[in-house]
Amino acid sequence: MNLRKVLRIARWEVSKNAGQLDRRAIAVGLVVLLAVGALTPMVAQRGVTLDDGIYQVGVSPESPYYEPVAQDPTFAPVDPKGTLSTGEVGPNPKADVVVCTEEMVRCAPGEVVWDDTRKGKAALAEFRKTVKQYNDLLMSRESNQTAAFPVEVSLRYEEQTGLNPAGASGSSAARTTREGEERLGGGQSGGTGSPGATTAPGGSAGSGTGDGSSGSDGPMQAPSVGSGGGSLFGGNARGGTPSDIAPPFPFESLVLAFAFVLPMNFVIQAYASTILDERINERGELLLVSPVSRGDIIAGKTLPYLLGMTAIASITAVGIAILTPAAEGATAVASTAAASVSAVVPIALLFLASAFVGGMFARSFKELTFVTVTLSVFLTSYAFVPAIFTNVHPVAAISPLTLVVKALRGTAFSLGEYAFSTGPLYLSAGVLFALGAGVYREEDMFTQRPVPLKFLDALDSQISGRRSMVKLSALSIPFVFVGELLAVALLFALPVSLSMPVLLVAIALVEEVAKSVHVYAGFAHDRFERTLRSAATLGFLSGLGFFLGEKATAVAQLVGLPNLELGRAAFGTVTGLGVETSPLVLLGLLFAPLALHTVTTTITAAGATRDRNWYAGTLVVATLVHAAYNLTVVSYLG
Amino acid sequence: MGKRLTVAKRELASLRSEKTIVLAILIQLFVAAFSSFLAVGLVSLYDPGSVSNQFVVEFGVTGEAREDIVPVIEEQDGWRTLEYSDEDAAMRDFDRGAIHAVLKVDRTPDGRARVRAIAPDGNVRTTLVVTQIKGVLETFERAERQRLRHSLERQPVELPPDSSSSPYFGFTYTVLVPLLTFLPVFVSGSIAVDAIAEEYDRGTLELLRVTPLTGVDIVDGKMLAMGVLAPVQAGAWLALLSFNGTAIANPVEILLLVTGFSVGVVTMGATAALAFRERKQAQFLFSMGVLVVFSSTYLLPESPANAVAKLAIGSPTQLTHLSVGAYLVVSLAAFVGLRRFVAKRGLGS
Repeated sequence: MNLRKVLRIARWEVSKNAGQLDRRAIAVGLVVLLAVGALTPMVAQRGVTLDDGIYQVGVSPESPYYEPVAQDPTFAPVDPKGTLSTGEVGPNPKADVVVCTEEMVRCAPGEVVWDDTRKGKAALAEFRKTVKQYNDLLMSRESNQTAAFPVEVSLRYEEQTGLNPAGASGSSAARTTREGEERLGGGQSGGTGSPGATTAPGGSAGSGTGDGSSGSDGPMQAPSVGSGGGSLFGGNARGGTPSDIAPPFPFESLVLAFAFVLPMNFVIQAYASTILDERINERGELLLVSPVSRGDIIAGKTLPYLLGMTAIASITAVGIAILTPAAEGATAVASTAAASVSAVVPIALLFLASAFVGGMFARSFKELTFVTVTLSVFLTSYAFVPAIFTNVHPVAAISPLTLVVKALRGTAFSLGEYAFSTGPLYLSAGVLFALGAGVYREEDMFTQRPVPLKFLDALDSQISGRRSMVKLSALSIPFVFVGELLAVALLFALPVSLSMPVLLVAIALVEEVAKSVHVYAGFAHDRFERTLRSAATLGFLSGLGFFLGEKATAVAQLVGLPNLELGRAAFGTVTGLGVETSPLVLLGLLFAPLALHTVTTTITAAGATRDRNWYAGTLVVATLVHAAYNLTVVSYLG
Repeated sequence: MGKRLTVAKRELASLRSEKTIVLAILIQLFVAAFSSFLAVGLVSLYDPGSVSNQFVVEFGVTGEAREDIVPVIEEQDGWRTLEYSDEDAAMRDFDRGAIHAVLKVDRTPDGRARVRAIAPDGNVRTTLVVTQIKGVLETFERAERQRLRHSLERQPVELPPDSSSSPYFGFTYTVLVPLLTFLPVFVSGSIAVDAIAEEYDRGTLELLRVTPLTGVDIVDGKMLAMGVLAPVQAGAWLALLSFNGTAIANPVEILLLVTGFSVGVVTMGATAALAFRERKQAQFLFSMGVLVVFSSTYLLPESPANAVAKLAIGSPTQLTHLSVGAYLVVSLAAFVGLRRFVAKRGLGS
């Protein structure tokens, strides 16, 4: 790759786009951007109004319940009285919840009645919550705050060392010291500022188990899920009363995900357009015949977009870092922002890489739209969903946004954690660019072929002989990793008895596809002889490559998710690490996966020699064999 | 009309032959499945009863004033207490996982109860246990307030009865249904941009122009094809949801609203494509424009997402019905405006 050429192409890309913009487009764009800027604070101020007025509550103005109902926009107040079928006055049948009045028959005044439907019950639950909040509000106006808030609370999080899954990994360094002393709110009581509202002394951290600060830097432990669940954007207003306790659930992740990931969706739209543009009416021909390499062209076309995304992310990061209390002072803001951007860049790269492949594969603009929307949805949920569980569950470590949340909280993250969260993304982005670059040539760019065939072409272009099977299998590992993590993220909420078998089959399928699809591509392009013998050779080589690549995921075992039962199911079987047993069994465990992978891939390779249906059929068989093997290993290892 | 239908059919046929429309369906399935999984997962973290009824939270209670809180906890089925006179013993039991949380209760000089709660860190149960601690302490607070009611000038309002309702109920109507009804609308608008920009970009507009079609026919046909897709998909979702036991109260009105938005958004897409011709610019301005339009609807007394939620759950007000009509009228006006413009100016060269 030649840096000067790359930069020149990047400059062309920018000037071409700038040249296409006429005054009108710039004007409209500015107006739209200004509107976005002006609307955001206004909408943010109004808040989320999704559940306004969804429940109808009948309550008369005299009732003590009238005030709470009137204050909560979730409720639409209606007339409590209605006519029963008997002609008498009773609770309004249209309302979900009714507070009875004196005129009504068959219900005592002040009694709360509700519709016996799911909606009625949901309305009642919401009603109860609202009354609780109203009571707290009422009490905060009391002069005797000791009687109004008779309970004060401080909550502390502490590791239960006895619960760590024994034998999951060789290292026994438990994370004992992450006791997050959580002060619920400041010392001042909100509102009245009355005496007696000061809360318990803060420094009670030492009163715990006192198991000292050993092992807080234990070797390669699971990415910590942090401690405490204070709000990112400032603390709670009132002192430590029971209603101030908030389960650790950072809704801020949602804000972050949208602040960082949303602009990426717009940028990849433009980027994918650029790529597809080259392919329409053979416009890319000129660049292709010029004395620059494919890599130069692709890097040059990608560079402006990557820089743009990084710039947007940096601005966002600095903006958020200034808004959050964790960073004070210019250097703190800068380091927080830098940490956030370093975590977001791999997401941007993966977005670009998949948009590049989308642009190379799509046949028309319409198809490209479907592809980019799909990419946006998948990648956004990959980044966003695990991050919801920051502080709650180790599964959060999958997403780089978790690192962003940590950086904004002022918690440092280790290099190991960074590698765990972003490694798969970097690798996937690299492989995707390589795949797309494989079809960046005349015979593929300017022809119309369905996406699956293009995909096979792209794979085929990476095959140069039998040994390529090893390489391709090994390179598929990051996708397998991402796919499996996605499956874990999807399934971990279900009860283990249900999610485990589904997960085992899903993982087996992902791995079998990854091992065999390039073998199929090779046969489909008549690269190899369609005999069983060559199928066996290719199957063996592909299985071997996958095995070798998989050993690299031992890193995931060490850094990754050993605490999580599902993580063990996903990755525990492949490494055989952390099992204390005789050397012979260990050796068996080391080579059993090799045998498994080569056997199952040979099965699918045999099917791939025939046609698509045979391939699909043998894929099912191989998946079942694989799942059965995994099940045996998981139950054997307990 | 026949000519327009031909154009529309051609557009739909090209979508069908590419088969990537399957992706659009896939996305929506993914969104629905994912949000359901997510909601069920979150609910199970918060509310043990919704997933398994058998989970009992055990509190280790210690401190001088522990006798005050024990009866409050014991009243509830899902809560159990173990009393410890020694805090270290409680912490040891907590550490080996025999109890889920430790509550140390004592009295401050002014008579308040001071509770120091210890919850497990970084564990799947953390959220659940913290939610339960909150429940216990709120009950305790109510009991204490009741005891001290003579020192209060205002009395707290009595709590309505508890109901065993799934928190997922509200989520379905306020998030899932609006998401599934509006997502197809955006995708349709985006493809409308493509359908027109493509003709300019590939130079195939010239071919269309030599046919007996007028500019209005071409634009109409393309918009018809894309505008129909969204309400059809939304309708399918509503049918699927009610089939799965989520009752949708006003399906016809929801579909009317979706049709209105579909017409409006597709008109926006077509306008952007006709004005800028080049896909990159048109798509960008279209998506930003949609963002602006949708966020500005939040400033209305009733946002479209909220209107769909109210209609689906069965609490529409007069305003809801009026706004459905208003959205339809505005969208149709925009559509008619665009047709006039095309009729006058043509499609350009």
